[in-house]
Amino acid sequence: MPVVELTEVTKAYESKVAVDRLSLSIQAGQMFGLLGPNGAGKTSSIRMMMGITGPDSGSVRLFDKPFERPSLDRVGYLPEERGLYKKMKVLDQLVFFGQLHGLAATEAQKRATGWAERLDITSGLDKKVEELSKGMQQKIQFIACLLHDPGLIVMDEPFSGLDPVNAVLLQDALLELKAEGRAILFSTHRMDQVEKLCDSICLINNGQAVLSGNLREIKSHYERNRVIVEFEGSADFLTSAEIEEARNYSGHAEIKLTPHGDAQKLLHEAASMATIYRFEIAEPSLEEIFIQTVGGKTHA
Amino acid sequence: MRNTLLVAKREYLEKIRGKAFRFSTVLLPAGVLLMLGATYFSGRNTHSGAHVAIAADTAPLANEIRRQMLEEKDAKFTVDVIAPATAQDTDNLMQLVRNKSIDGLLALENSATETPTASYASRSSMDFRTQGRLDSALNQSILRQRLSASGIKQGDADALLKHVNIEKLELDKNGKAGKSTGMAAFSKAMMMAFLITMPILLYGMDMARAIIEEKSSRIFEVMLAVIRPDDMLAGKLLGVGAVGLTQIAIWVVAAALFTGSALAAPLLSGDMALHFSVQEAVLFPLYYILGFFLYSSLFSGLASTCETAQELQMFMPFVVVPVWLSFGILPYLLSNPDSVWVVVLSLFPFTAPFVMLPRVGLATVPVWQFGVSIVLLLLSIWGVLWFSSRLYRIGILMYGKRATLPEIFRWLRYS
Repeated sequence: MPVVELTEVTKAYESKVAVDRLSLSIQAGQMFGLLGPNGAGKTSSIRMMMGITGPDSGSVRLFDKPFERPSLDRVGYLPEERGLYKKMKVLDQLVFFGQLHGLAATEAQKRATGWAERLDITSGLDKKVEELSKGMQQKIQFIACLLHDPGLIVMDEPFSGLDPVNAVLLQDALLELKAEGRAILFSTHRMDQVEKLCDSICLINNGQAVLSGNLREIKSHYERNRVIVEFEGSADFLTSAEIEEARNYSGHAEIKLTPHGDAQKLLHEAASMATIYRFEIAEPSLEEIFIQTVGGKTHA
Repeated sequence: MRNTLLVAKREYLEKIRGKAFRFSTVLLPAGVLLMLGATYFSGRNTHSGAHVAIAADTAPLANEIRRQMLEEKDAKFTVDVIAPATAQDTDNLMQLVRNKSIDGLLALENSATETPTASYASRSSMDFRTQGRLDSALNQSILRQRLSASGIKQGDADALLKHVNIEKLELDKNGKAGKSTGMAAFSKAMMMAFLITMPILLYGMDMARAIIEEKSSRIFEVMLAVIRPDDMLAGKLLGVGAVGLTQIAIWVVAAALFTGSALAAPLLSGDMALHFSVQEAVLFPLYYILGFFLYSSLFSGLASTCETAQELQMFMPFVVVPVWLSFGILPYLLSNPDSVWVVVLSLFPFTAPFVMLPRVGLATVPVWQFGVSIVLLLLSIWGVLWFSSRLYRIGILMYGKRATLPEIFRWLRYS
């Protein structure tokens, strides 16, 4: 059952088309990356999912039903910038957001305290938001987004402002939520995080989906013609007929194979001349795919 | 509805805990009372110590002036008589005036004749009360002297010269005369004008600032994912309205406690007596709340088109002009509370709360004028809400730059 489903959704502001016939679908238990350069239409797409704006055409479905506001009680949203009242005390604020999503005050307070313990920010509960560090605020917002136990979690740059220790803390929490069967949508520029966490992606540019689907499948469509070799001994194998281009950094070589180059043949040749410590057929990184796809489209 | 109430509750609690509330609830009436008290007590004290000397060629006229000066109950004059005074005495007394040992010197010549001459020397030409009292005492004494010279007996002269006070009366709408409240009416008008204007503007500005802050911190993104913009605006206005009501309740209770206290006694008697009618007790909260809604909803709409508090400055004339008009007309309002301009401003919705209430304390306002001003206020609130909710719906999601006028018109058309 798709938790979110956009079908041919279009949204235009005055003269600019922000989202152009975008379709995507996110399943329960899936972590989905929404990627794209600035102004590509990510925020506009998210706003339509959240009912903040309506599409000019196309349809938005939440929890397998046409969009309706009551469904939003099952959605948690974390915008890129701190969506918190600066002068309000943290616990009051969390209870307020919980209540807005239909929780009773006592239940909201109980859950807020539980999450605060888990994310190690109990000391901040009695403080005003403005007294907390950026990272702490980010964690508070993270809690505000999850307090009502949403089935769909939408996060815009969730790890910005977090140090590596806290980023791992949040990542673990997200992976747990995913395992519990919640659908999670990321909107981010951090390709390394998407690569590590997401199962599926949608790359949008100028309001249109330019690449979407399962991350593994997408990568499999790109040629695996890059080889990384770490070795000791003769570097003569780098002149092999299988190689189109090679860079040797004294014992670490980055190789591009010819279109029909055979990696296994190269490994044999190399092993006969030198001691091989590492031989990796590298798949293209998401960043390379991103630059290649968006760059290509932009220039087209 | 539930979320609207939640927003209202949050606004209410945050505002009640905020500085603007404490400031306007405690400091504003305290400031006004301090002002009134200072005026009252300085009025009493200015004249109480006035020390005057009378230098005359003969004693009877000077002594009579002294007697009359000492009869003044409100101001305790000290009057020395030097008679007969030599030129040297007069010079010495002038020296005393110069070195501030005494406040003034009244020099009388030919005081036993039909046409005495008098001159008064003092350091302050602004002490009208002492001068007025001396003038009156001198002329009364000369009159008494002249009556006595024409053979009229002391008792008859006293009867002829008996002072009559003018009682100031004010006619109400039925033409019935009531006692005029004079100075108290003026003080009350000023007090009402301040007490109603300051909080309305303070909360309006506070609301505008809060909206800009919420916009820049992207709270709207989170809020609008659970609540409609109109419901959110309604919640905000309800919260602010409740804050206004709380403030009035606190003032009423404080006023009741104050009226019973010893401190209030001098303020609530004599010329400065403050009396509030039932009419005012009803109208004050009514105009207060209507003013609150009008200005707060106007500010909300305008603020949602801005990115920073500085940009909001551009819209300040919307507020400054009505307030400036209302306070500008105050002196005119005091002297002629039923003139055309005063009536126009007390009906015009943006100035009505600020002008109507002070006017009620000074004159009898026809009932139809209340009706018209309240209906106009309600219609304006409706109109401003229509306008503001449209700006708000779109404005709070527009980031990056302040909306231009053509953009604002487009937003009004779109939504």
